[in-house]
Amino acid sequence: MGEKIMVKGTEAIGEAAIRAGCRVYFGYPITPQSELTEYMSRRMEEVGGVFLQAESEVATVNMMYGASSVGARVMTSTSSPGFSLMQEGISYMANAQLPGVFVDVVRGGPGLGDIQPSQGDYFQIVKGGGHGDYRLPVYSPSSLQEAVELTIHAFDVADKYRTPVVIFADGMMGQMMEPVEFPDPIDPGSLPEKDWALTGAKGRNARYVTSFDIDPYKLEKMNKNLQEKYKKITEEEQKWEEFMTDDMEVLFVAHGTVGRIVKSTVKMARDKGIKAGLFRPISLFPFPYQRLSELADKVDIVMTVEMSAGQMLEDVKLAVLGKARTPFYGRLAGVIPTPGEILEALMKELGR
Amino acid sequence: MKKNMAFVGMFGSGKTEIAINMAIKLAKEGKNVALADLDYVSPYFRSREKKPLMEEFGIKVIVPPGKYVWADTPIIPPETFGILSNKKITAILDVGGEEDGIAVLGYLKAFMKNTAVYFVINTKRPFTDTVENIIKYYEKLRNRAKVDFDYIVSNTNLGSETTEEIIKEGEEIVEEVSKRTGVPVAFTAVPSFLKDCDCKFEKFVLERYMELPW
Repeated sequence: MGEKIMVKGTEAIGEAAIRAGCRVYFGYPITPQSELTEYMSRRMEEVGGVFLQAESEVATVNMMYGASSVGARVMTSTSSPGFSLMQEGISYMANAQLPGVFVDVVRGGPGLGDIQPSQGDYFQIVKGGGHGDYRLPVYSPSSLQEAVELTIHAFDVADKYRTPVVIFADGMMGQMMEPVEFPDPIDPGSLPEKDWALTGAKGRNARYVTSFDIDPYKLEKMNKNLQEKYKKITEEEQKWEEFMTDDMEVLFVAHGTVGRIVKSTVKMARDKGIKAGLFRPISLFPFPYQRLSELADKVDIVMTVEMSAGQMLEDVKLAVLGKARTPFYGRLAGVIPTPGEILEALMKELGR
Repeated sequence: MKKNMAFVGMFGSGKTEIAINMAIKLAKEGKNVALADLDYVSPYFRSREKKPLMEEFGIKVIVPPGKYVWADTPIIPPETFGILSNKKITAILDVGGEEDGIAVLGYLKAFMKNTAVYFVINTKRPFTDTVENIIKYYEKLRNRAKVDFDYIVSNTNLGSETTEEIIKEGEEIVEEVSKRTGVPVAFTAVPSFLKDCDCKFEKFVLERYMELPW
């Protein structure tokens, strides 16, 4: 690890990608993540990588497909409407088993959306915004140090399972500044060779990267292989944080920026004598159902807080399975909930 | 002494915190202060978020009109020209980061005669960590703004993890930049929790106004 520097979230993620050996970045600017695109335009030049501003997000994702198929560690970053435009290509990458890291700095609201922070794209990112039976590993950081670690981890997971991976951030994570320590950079040349990548077939059998087989039985086999992979990811790649859950009487569930805000709520609640705890899913797929289910056994209320109308809430309900009440508190359109108003919502639930 | 101040620099160098702190300090001293938020490049952590607070101190805060205050559009409020020219007003310009942010000064150039430009540097930020890098971006920003810089501000910090040593390290780098560019250092900004630390340059103690939601 090197010395600490003061970075914005977008810079933290960009630098982490460089340290992870990413040397290919495609992107199209969109607020509130354009600083990441700008950071990569400077840093890729310095490290001898490729920075290419595409003509659109549709072009970006297909450039990702191409560069990934020849074995490069590739990355793009965008915000909600841009991520929508990428969906067809992401679905293709998923079935072609192509690794790549997507950073989605989510904006507030459907349509154009404002540039304030939101988590309203949970369904799109976590449940699959494109077509077909595919899933994407998704990570939601709640500090910039964690964003660094998860970005590097995302590249490893992408390569290990040959899948696109998403970093789910919002404008607060993207724009805020914190001191961060970066690990030593990985030499891209030292990364293991990809035995499926299209590197020229001279002296060996040809390899094949595709998202399609015209024979339905063979295509079904491809699909089943994907499902096997998702099962393995579900077993091996769950991540979460528990905060003050040992003696809790009520449990909050929140991810990313809101997870960090709710930590303050938990402390405020405890000052009032209410033993609150927080379960913060870090991997949203695979969602840590099992652990949340175990925690739900200890409480009567599992309260979900999101900057959305209640999307992760569905996963919380699947974990809790009616064992506890599952109230919800959310803000929309880029409005950030305060620790105090979340506490108020909890008090209402408790009838106090 | 020029009556107005403009704070410029790279993203996250601390322009906004310093501009707000300076406006409040001068207002407390009884000056008639107006602050113009000219940051049209960053969507978050702009001085307009602290408009009500500054107004409590009697500061006139100039931002895009009405609902456009939160839009990411390059609006330069027309009052900006007025406060720069009005001899009774001390104008403070909070300028956006990097080359795109500073371009606004070129546009205002004809009204900038009475404005000292302060180049804010945090050596713990990417791209301004060494003398060479700082000078590289000093040139880029100056060329883009088409105005000269009058002063350098040493604002090296790691947020809540800032120490006296970090401030001193930053001062050394900034001092060398000052020697090579011939631009004098106006002051060193220090967080209020280090208000008693030793500084090589004049000390300017900063309160933290831009808050995080937790």
